[in-house]
Formats: sequence, structure tokens, C-alpha cells
Amino acid sequence: MAMADRKDVARALMDRAAALGVTFADLRVIRGESTRAQVQDERADRLAHDVSMGAGLRVLVDEAWGFAGTDEIRPAALEDALDKAVAMARASTDHVADKGSVATVKPIEAVERVEAKIDPRSVDIGEKMDLLLRLEKAALDDRGDRIVNSIVVYADGVGEELLVNTMGTCIVRETMRCAVSCLFVASDGKIFQRAGEAYANRAGFEVAKELDPEATTIRIARIADVQLGAKRPPAGNFPVVFHPSVTGLLMHEALGHNAEADAVWAGESILVGRLGDQIASDKVTVYDDPTYPHSYGSYQYDAEGVPGQKRVIIENGVLRNYLHSLETADKFGVSPNGAARAQGFLHRPIVRMSNTYMAPGKDPLEDIFSGIDRGVYLKDGSWGYVFVDKGQFVCHATQAQMIEHGKPGEPLRDVSVSGMMLETLMDVEAIADDFEMDKPGMCGKNGQGAPVNCGGPHVRVKRLVVGGV
Amino acid sequence: MAETESRLDELKGFAEDALKTAMQAGAEWCDVSCGRTADTSVDVENGSIKSVDLTSNRAFVVRAFVGGAQGVSSATGFAAEDLAAGARDAVAMARAAQPDPDFRSLPEPAALEEVDGLFDERIVAMTPAEAVEMAVRNIEGAREVDGDVIISGGVSLDATESAFASSTGIRLDKRSTSMEAAFFCIVRRGDDSGSFYEFDMGRMFEDVQPEVCGRIATEQALRFLGARKAATKPMSMVLGPLASFSFLRSLASSTNAESIQRRRSFMVGRLDTTVASPLVSITDDGLIPRGIFSGRADGEGAARKRVTLFENGVFTAMLHNAYTAGKADAPNTGHGGRTGGIRPTNLAVSLGEITAEEIIADTEEGIYINMGSVTPDAASGDISASVDFGFKIENGKLAYPVINTMVSGDIFEFLGNIDAISSDYREEPGNKLPTIRIRNVQVSGSQ
Repeated sequence: MAMADRKDVARALMDRAAALGVTFADLRVIRGESTRAQVQDERADRLAHDVSMGAGLRVLVDEAWGFAGTDEIRPAALEDALDKAVAMARASTDHVADKGSVATVKPIEAVERVEAKIDPRSVDIGEKMDLLLRLEKAALDDRGDRIVNSIVVYADGVGEELLVNTMGTCIVRETMRCAVSCLFVASDGKIFQRAGEAYANRAGFEVAKELDPEATTIRIARIADVQLGAKRPPAGNFPVVFHPSVTGLLMHEALGHNAEADAVWAGESILVGRLGDQIASDKVTVYDDPTYPHSYGSYQYDAEGVPGQKRVIIENGVLRNYLHSLETADKFGVSPNGAARAQGFLHRPIVRMSNTYMAPGKDPLEDIFSGIDRGVYLKDGSWGYVFVDKGQFVCHATQAQMIEHGKPGEPLRDVSVSGMMLETLMDVEAIADDFEMDKPGMCGKNGQGAPVNCGGPHVRVKRLVVGGV
Repeated sequence: MAETESRLDELKGFAEDALKTAMQAGAEWCDVSCGRTADTSVDVENGSIKSVDLTSNRAFVVRAFVGGAQGVSSATGFAAEDLAAGARDAVAMARAAQPDPDFRSLPEPAALEEVDGLFDERIVAMTPAEAVEMAVRNIEGAREVDGDVIISGGVSLDATESAFASSTGIRLDKRSTSMEAAFFCIVRRGDDSGSFYEFDMGRMFEDVQPEVCGRIATEQALRFLGARKAATKPMSMVLGPLASFSFLRSLASSTNAESIQRRRSFMVGRLDTTVASPLVSITDDGLIPRGIFSGRADGEGAARKRVTLFENGVFTAMLHNAYTAGKADAPNTGHGGRTGGIRPTNLAVSLGEITAEEIIADTEEGIYINMGSVTPDAASGDISASVDFGFKIENGKLAYPVINTMVSGDIFEFLGNIDAISSDYREEPGNKLPTIRIRNVQVSGSQ
């Protein structure tokens, strides 16, 4: 049964919730399907297909939240889930000091579709495997025996979600994402170095089909090879230049998580009470934008049915906005800005980022390096995390280069850097006029994963702690 | 109990039917698992109960092999007819994939050692209101230490029933439970802040103290006020129990036979060689009663085996699943994941002769790491990690908390420089977590 055909049952359930005395309720019925193919060492020997279906029902009763997630979507099962969610809320009513609430919004009736050239379900699994094998072979032909292990993975996910709530919102959302990731391990017989990358969008099979081996697998295999000759990075405090992937990672980890309004409301974030303050160099402007075309973190409506919108977090160094759900918007007395997301039907919506990036500046790229006598150029950001209470962050880059006398020089091995978010934002000295947003990945928070992307320009920071030797 | 038996019988029936369908569709080898999970979680945010969540679902995984190629079909939320379709789907994918001559077989039936203490009816019987009470007592305990503490976290109760069937004749079913409390607490003094995380988890009710984590985390958080950078220079690093837990687990993960066979690990070519200080002896034991990683069989139905991974610093054995054991013509150690992969279980570390306190007292200058992920890159073995929660050691004492400080080096340098493992330890069910000292680690902080 198509999701659109379940609307009447869903609306009737919301009526029943209202009759039970809930302040607010919403229901998300989700069906998803995914395919995964893996090529390793020139053999496509692992294929997988997954289907999931279920419903998540959330209620606000006497200012307490309850949630029930179930894999059964028959009307009787949904009624049972509603009763359970109400019982869950009532189990905590006496202990809710921070009262639950939601902002009132105009109901929306809409359909969200993904603009895809090729529906991945229409593509034969053999074609997907052939594509992976070609991508892998191109890299192996280029690097020869230096590559000792290679893995190239294709993954797609297509789904449909019906979202209704007691405010009258009723939205059918289509989701579609496609990704190819690769990992190459190089060895000279003594040491091993690896490099990897993911290419992913909110789009169809064209994401994979349009990949150019030269710009993807060959490039990554060459990085792994080059890393064999790389030196260990130095230890201590250094001027640092971020590649756009590292800039994006930093904006996501160090700034974005601090700008999530649930962390701010709870008093955990270092950005509590800082709206309107200058918290960064006046060169810095940062956005979180779920409407960015086709990007991995994009969506039209969030998991509460609020239209996603471009949000300016920092404008010319001034903190302008937090990211909000219906609840945090109500608590802060602002309009919701569509930042509530949920991993699936077994998870409640929580405040999340989408595509987070720093706007490009005005400096030519070569000027970013000039003036640095001895520093570190961080490339290929791979992971990071932040402790929001202190703003202490860590960023890891899989490759780096020494900067000497104003120019990037000898290659360095993978390295982490650590800094304090507010100091680092103030220490931004130069922002290049270039821009990339190609760091798709899954962001984890409270046990939930959400597809996100991040990016920005090259950026020079006065100094950071480099975890070298 | 009759209801439970009936649900398990239904899962066993599903697994049997799917296995039969897959074999009729042409699978050469096949295994099927069907499970049902029910979770209750109480989330705490801003010192208040945020939400009480109840989730339940059924899921299946059918894995089929044709010519050594693997096809996997899985579903969360399914009807009986979906299983048959899933079984045929798995076989179709195995046929579409390229044959793998290195695949030998799935595990054969074997006598399984019984492991007690993995299921507790008391956890199943707990009500959401009781879980809420536990969460509330964590909030209260934290506030008794610091009235303005910012506390988040929660209490969760999980119960799983599952059935497993394979074409080699293995038939398994199990019920398991787990319970966990985990809280993160922040204390502020003006612009300064200290924070810490504390958890407790177990398979049996009495193995968990679910009401004290908030208090402990807050007491620890207070110790982290007034943090500053450590100097940039080599010094000793002392890993406290939680930090040593993540370090040792990453070391155990590096004995994964697949990573070594595929030549993507710093452990390639190191078997039967000395890779660590003679103080290092580690055994993987997935058969410890009540252990958080314990079980009679692995994800492929193979009997779990105790494996001595390191003995007096020598890398003595790898962890295998069915695929890697077949490829190497070695015994399967029973560490396979459900659809591939290899994972360590509980780790037993040989303990030393002096206490953690004595190790610190014996350290003139160093960094003490309470908690954090000081782990190597899986290929290069390089370590470049942040000291998220740690102290500077000066003259045998924890002098001050550190911030914005990093440690780095190489896994073999770290292992070779281990010069003390404590005699006392923190215990999580099935796992003893000692304190470990590593000499001459590069620390980066202030100029």
C-alpha cells in the first residue's frame, strides 16, 4: 500500500490521540529499502539488500513526552502503539522539571519528491557491480603493486515516509540517497598507509554513474601511495591551513553541535546566551542549509513537517541563530527552522544539522599560505568530535603537508589537531575565495545517525595544537 | 513463560522455513537468524526526564552462498511471506556476485559451552516507571554533589529473543538482556567548566548500579575545573581504567584475521613476534558468565573459543570467523559477526603487582588519562589523540586537569614502552580494566 493511501488511518489516529487528551502527537510511518554491493581486491563477492517498515508515535501528555516505535503498521497495532506512548509519557509526568512543549505552526499538506535522473531500484545489480569493478581497476592499474588492499562500496537507500500530527500537518516524503565509497591501503612491505573517500548525494544512481575514476579512486589510491613517503607531523602549536574538507568538518563538529538549540537550552553548549555576540573573526559567515541542491544532508521537510530552510549561524563573526525543533523553538520563543531529524521509526526527532559550511572569503588561495614560516596544511578531513560544554574539539586529517616559507611542502602522515572553538573562530586570519562541499557522512548524536554534508573554503588559523611527534 | 516459548517457537519456525526456501532456491550454504527486540529507555536532558521511549521490532537476516559469493537479505518489520521472498532474494544476490574460491564452509555443529548469566527475567519485568525512578535518583544524586549540575543521559533496558538455523545443521535459540545507565555531568564556575561521563552496564540486574552514575560523574566533573594545557614534551602516560579499556580493545581488534589476510593492518607479518612489553598478556574470553560480550556462539553459530592474543608481549593468535579460518586452514575461534567481520569479546589482561595509586606515585612527570580514545590508525598504527579527560602528573601526584592537550606516537612504541600494569582494576562484567603506564609518549600542549 502506498503511503498516500494510509493518510486516512493516520489522521484517524491523530483524532484518537486528541480524544485521549494529548497536547500534541505525531506519527511517522516509514518504509525503506537499501542495496549494498562491495568489491574487494578485484572481486564483487558481497551483495546485500535490506527492507524496513514501521512507525514511530510521539505524544506530549501533561507536559511529558512519550514515544513508541514499532514494526507493525496495521491500524490496530498503531492504536496499541499510541496507547503505549501515552502510558510512557504518564510514567514520567511527576518527574518532568523542564516541561515539554511545542511551537504552534500552520499545518502543511504536501508531497516531497527527490529529483533523481535514475531511480537506483531500476538499475540491475550487475551494472552496479561492474561500475565498482571499473572504478577499482582504474586505481589498481594506476598504482600497481603498491596497493595491497582495496575496497569499493556502492550503497543506495530509497524510502517513503508519511508524517501526520495533531496540528493537521500531513506530508508524504520521498527519500533517496546514493553513495560510493572507497578505501585503498598502500604498502612498501614495511609500513601501511590508507586513504578513503565517500561520494554521496540526495539523488539517484547518477551519483555513481557520473563518477570519474581520475577524480575519485585513482586520486585516493595515489594519496595512499604518497603517504608511504610521508613524515610524521611535528608536535606543538603551529599556524594551520585547513583544506575545505577540514573547514567543513570543523564547522560541523566545533560550531554546529554547539548551535543545536537542545544543547543550548540544556545549558550544555558554550554558546548559551551568546546570540548577537561577536564570537568569530568578522571574516567568518557560517550556514546550515538543508535546501542545498542534491546535497547528502538535504531535505525539503524535517521530521516534524517543518520546511527546511537556510539558517545563518554566524554572520560576519556574529552569532545569529541556533538550530531548532518545534520544542526548542517554543522554549526560545522563535519560529521553528526545520532542524528536527530522526534516524528511523524507532527514533524520536531531535535537533540536527544538515549541510554545514563556511562561506567563501576574498583571499586568493596562494595568499592563504603566504606569511607562514612553519605551519601545517591539513587535508582530507576524516573525523572529529567536540565537547560542547568547553568547546574543545578534535579534527583528524588523513593527510597533511608542512608549510615552509609560505608554501605547502613535504607530505605528512595522518594527524589530529585540537583546539578551543571560540578561540579558533577568533583566530581565523584569512579565508580563501574557493569553495568545496564534498564531505558527506553520517553524524551521530544520542544514538542516532543522520546523513549530513559539510564544506567551505581554505582557511588559515593563527595556531592550533598539532598531535605530532 | 508459555508465551515466551511460543514466541521463540515462532522465530525458530521462521528461521527453519527461510533456510528451507533458500536451499531450494539453490543456495550452497545458508544461515538465517530471526529476532525480536524490546527496549525501554528513559532519556534525561537538562536535569529533567526528557522522554520515555518503548520500541519493539522483529528482524531477520538470511545469508546465502553460491560459489563462495555472499548474498544477504535482511528486514526489520516483516510478515511470514516476506521471509520467503528474502530467502530467494539472498540466493539471487549470491548468484549475481562473483565466486570467491577462498570461502570454504559455514561452521559445523559443535558442542557449545554453557554461559550463565546472560538473561535476567527481572530486567524484562521492570516497568517504565521503575526505570524513571532510577533516572530520577541519578539526577538527585548529582544535585546532592552540585546543586547547579547540568546532567543528561539515561537508563535503558533491553531484551532480545532470537533463533538461528544454518544449512550445516546448527540450530540455536537464545534470550538475552542488558541494562545500562549512562550520564554526562557538567559543572560550571563562571567561565570555567568541568565535565565527566559515567556508566554502568550488565546482563543481570545485580551487576548494575544504575542509580549512582549521576553522583559519580558530578564528583569527577568537579575535579576538571581549572584545566590548563600541559607542556609540549615527551613524558609518561598513565591510562586509567576507562582509557585502558578503549586502548586494549583497539589492540584486540588489530588481531582480526581478515584485516591481516587482506594486508590492511599494522599487524601484518607480526604473528609469533614480540610486539609489546613482556608485561602484556591478553586473552579474549567470550565465555565468561555474565560478561557484557559473552555468548555461547558467535554470529555465524560457531562455538566461541578462548584465545590468548598476546603472551608476555608476543602476538600469539588471531581472531577468526568461518571465512578467515577456512582461508588460512586454521581453527575457527568463534568471533564472527552476523554477516561477516570479526570482533573481540571480553578481554582478560594479566595484572601487575602494584596498585594504580602506586603507579601514579612512581611517576615523576606524566599525563594521566581518565577516559578517552587513545587508539591507533588501523593501517599505519600511528596514534594522534586528544586528552579529553586527563590530569598532569607532577612528582607522583595528579597536579591539575589538562585541556587542549594531545598525545601521539606509534602503536609499537606505545606497546614496547608499557612498564606497569596495575594490580587493581575497575570491573565491568567479564572485563577487568587495569591502569597502564607507557613511558616516553610525546605530549603536545602549550609552547
